[in-house]
Amino acid sequence: MPLPTLALAPGFGPPSDPILAAAFWTGIAALLLTLLLGLQIVRLRISLRARERRRARTLARWRPVLNAAIAGDSPQELPRLLASERLHFIKLWVHLQSSLRGEAGAALNAIACRLGLDAEARTMLGRRARTERLLAALMLGHLGDREAWPQLLRLTGLDDPTLSLTALWALVRIDPQAAAEYLTPLFVEREDWAMSHVAGILQQAGTPVAAVLAGMLPRLNPDRLPRALRIAEALWVELPAATLAAALANESIAVVTAALRIVNTPLLRDRVRALLAHADWQVRVQAAKALGRIGDRTDVERLVALLADREWWVRYRAAQALAELPWLKRADLDALRASLEDRYAADMLAQVVAEQDAANAKQETPAGTAMVDA
Amino acid sequence: MNTHHLLIQFVTWFVLCYFILLNGGYLLLNLLSLRTLHRKGQEDMLDDLPRAYSGLEPPVSILVPAYNEEATIAASVRSMLQLTYSEYEVVVVNDGSKDGTLDVLKREFGLLPFPEAYRRQIPAKEIRAIYRSTRFQNLRVIDKFNGGKADSLNAGINAARYPLFCGVDADSVLQRDSLERVTQPFLRDPTVVATGGTIRIANGCEVSGGFLTRVGLPRNPWALFQVVEYLRAFLFGRLGWSAVNGMLIISGAFGVFRKDAVVSVGGYRPDTIGEDMELIVRLHRLLRERRQPYRIEFVPDPVCWTEAPEDFKTLKNQRIRWQRGLAESLNANWGLMFSKNGGVPGWLAFPFMLLFEWLGPLVEVGGYLFMIVSFLLGAISWQAFSTFMFVAIGLGILLSASGLLLEEMSFHIYPHGKQLLALGVVVLVENLGYRQLNTWWRLVGLFRWAMQKEATWGTMARKGSFADKP
Repeated sequence: MPLPTLALAPGFGPPSDPILAAAFWTGIAALLLTLLLGLQIVRLRISLRARERRRARTLARWRPVLNAAIAGDSPQELPRLLASERLHFIKLWVHLQSSLRGEAGAALNAIACRLGLDAEARTMLGRRARTERLLAALMLGHLGDREAWPQLLRLTGLDDPTLSLTALWALVRIDPQAAAEYLTPLFVEREDWAMSHVAGILQQAGTPVAAVLAGMLPRLNPDRLPRALRIAEALWVELPAATLAAALANESIAVVTAALRIVNTPLLRDRVRALLAHADWQVRVQAAKALGRIGDRTDVERLVALLADREWWVRYRAAQALAELPWLKRADLDALRASLEDRYAADMLAQVVAEQDAANAKQETPAGTAMVDA
Repeated sequence: MNTHHLLIQFVTWFVLCYFILLNGGYLLLNLLSLRTLHRKGQEDMLDDLPRAYSGLEPPVSILVPAYNEEATIAASVRSMLQLTYSEYEVVVVNDGSKDGTLDVLKREFGLLPFPEAYRRQIPAKEIRAIYRSTRFQNLRVIDKFNGGKADSLNAGINAARYPLFCGVDADSVLQRDSLERVTQPFLRDPTVVATGGTIRIANGCEVSGGFLTRVGLPRNPWALFQVVEYLRAFLFGRLGWSAVNGMLIISGAFGVFRKDAVVSVGGYRPDTIGEDMELIVRLHRLLRERRQPYRIEFVPDPVCWTEAPEDFKTLKNQRIRWQRGLAESLNANWGLMFSKNGGVPGWLAFPFMLLFEWLGPLVEVGGYLFMIVSFLLGAISWQAFSTFMFVAIGLGILLSASGLLLEEMSFHIYPHGKQLLALGVVVLVENLGYRQLNTWWRLVGLFRWAMQKEATWGTMARKGSFADKP
């Protein structure tokens, strides 16, 4: 098999036929591109090595300083932070800050300010380099830098979900109250902001967000309501019964199921009971769960009826709700199971009772098995 | 000019153009991958920060189909029980193993029969028993009659409790944070129905306690060729298609799916070898028919390591099976091609697969044979022959080199200069025989598919080519 280089051997130049010549030059282009890629790979490896060396030098010089500060022994004189060390230093600083609380965090903030990194981070926010902007937002959030507020607020409007969410996190760190007021409508609207990330960020601003959310809910469009209710659920927000009652009466299945997930007051018992017969099985599932939380003795019969539902998840949640009712003991559940004529209902109750036994038994791992598919 | 001469000219140009189009298409995918990898690189430092769970991460059921896996199943399950994720369960499906797979599981994890009200959403072979671990609350084992891998996955889906499920090969070595990484698209976008991660070759690596502890290159040349092959396939093959929502395959070794979406299309097809690809193509076809917005995404992070075949026979059989799987997947979903609402999958990815992956071996082997025979018979000139070889091999090397470049730009998981050099050599050498051999095997796969031979579980000659230290 001839090697590609043979084609360039003396007396074997580009063919005269135009199509063959085009193919020949395609091959030459591929060869040249391969060489360029090879060079690029080598260049990348060399620059990676150089970066790793710079990082190692930065860590060697600055980690002891930061560790001393964390231990409450900040040095009087700080070494000069070289330009080549800046990004590696900020990464190290952010990493340490993320695992600290209280005075240790304040000591690291003081070091950053003494090095002028608060101003530097604000400058970095305005640059185009995405890595620098992300790092700067993280640093300014930890510093609680109020001067950066307008810049960070602008970043939350960007389409880039990672950058905008990081800016949001920083704003919540800087001023939870103001962040809640400005940004709660945005949390509800930005579908590209992962709910789990938003909820994680908002843990620190739970109370102010709850107040804003409760005010917003009655005016919200039904297509925004499910997300707003999910945020309320994640933050354990106690919404007024009237607000929830309105949501339970909504025509949208998504709104009703989201509202049922957070119903926690007996005031809404009748409304929940009415939803046990809803045509949509997902509503019946959530209604059964809600009744497990707020039901009374008269609801046992309703839940037993749901054990024969055609949908597996409804039967399962109804059985769980029964098992959770405080006045039904194990013997009552066994008796109930024995009295059931529907085989599917009896099987489901048997499963839930066995699960309860397993959960009560000594566990090797704490991993939960809460069934949250529906 | 006579007809014979015209015919030879036509075939020569056709083969040349085919090779140029094929490799040009892949180079375009390469460009699409570059942007995604660049953005991913900018967010790397966020991965190093301590992670806090909000409790709203979607819980995942990990489904582990197992058939005659008594030697490795306990270690695999143990490592899966140590993944970092807020909430997940492991469901092992023993597919009527003839060896002691179930006994090992019972012994190692304290399994006891559990009275579970099994939910039959997708048809699957009959369940013999369901066990629950007394030691790990999130481990269950489904013991069923033998029905193949797809049937086992369907049984697993029926038993799964969570809205997402992750199909994993029983011999896969997962990164500890693999679930976290591969579920990210589900958090960001509610329309995502499936995600897959990069599979890497574990041969030559060190594994301890079920997790990868040292990355190394295999000494075995077959495995070494596959390292470069996997870089090409995952880093620009899949990532490129994912960027335009046109990815037609998620590896069965590690993929996460939205359960309701998979149930709505009928689950895995048990009568196919390539059940992983077939499911993805069917998801595209049916979701597009229903005009349901959806995304199927690829996460480039190396999340799963797998043992590659190290001998000729096993590798050959694997490639034949893969090609048959590809043919079955496309054949079962013709409706996607050029369909009214087909979008990128129907108008670009499916025809591309059909032309370059399904029919590819036929044209490639035919092309090589035609060129060699024509040259030997004097029907084409030495110039035409050598130009053909030059272009075909040159473009192949360029593609492999670009795979290596993407790796170096993003993950650079092979830390030593010597390893990089070795991969550079492989990039050159694999194009001088190995790729052609692969093309031949794929042609055999195509032929066997055409002959409609029966599908079975793929057997893998295990060499223990990555050291698992206890």
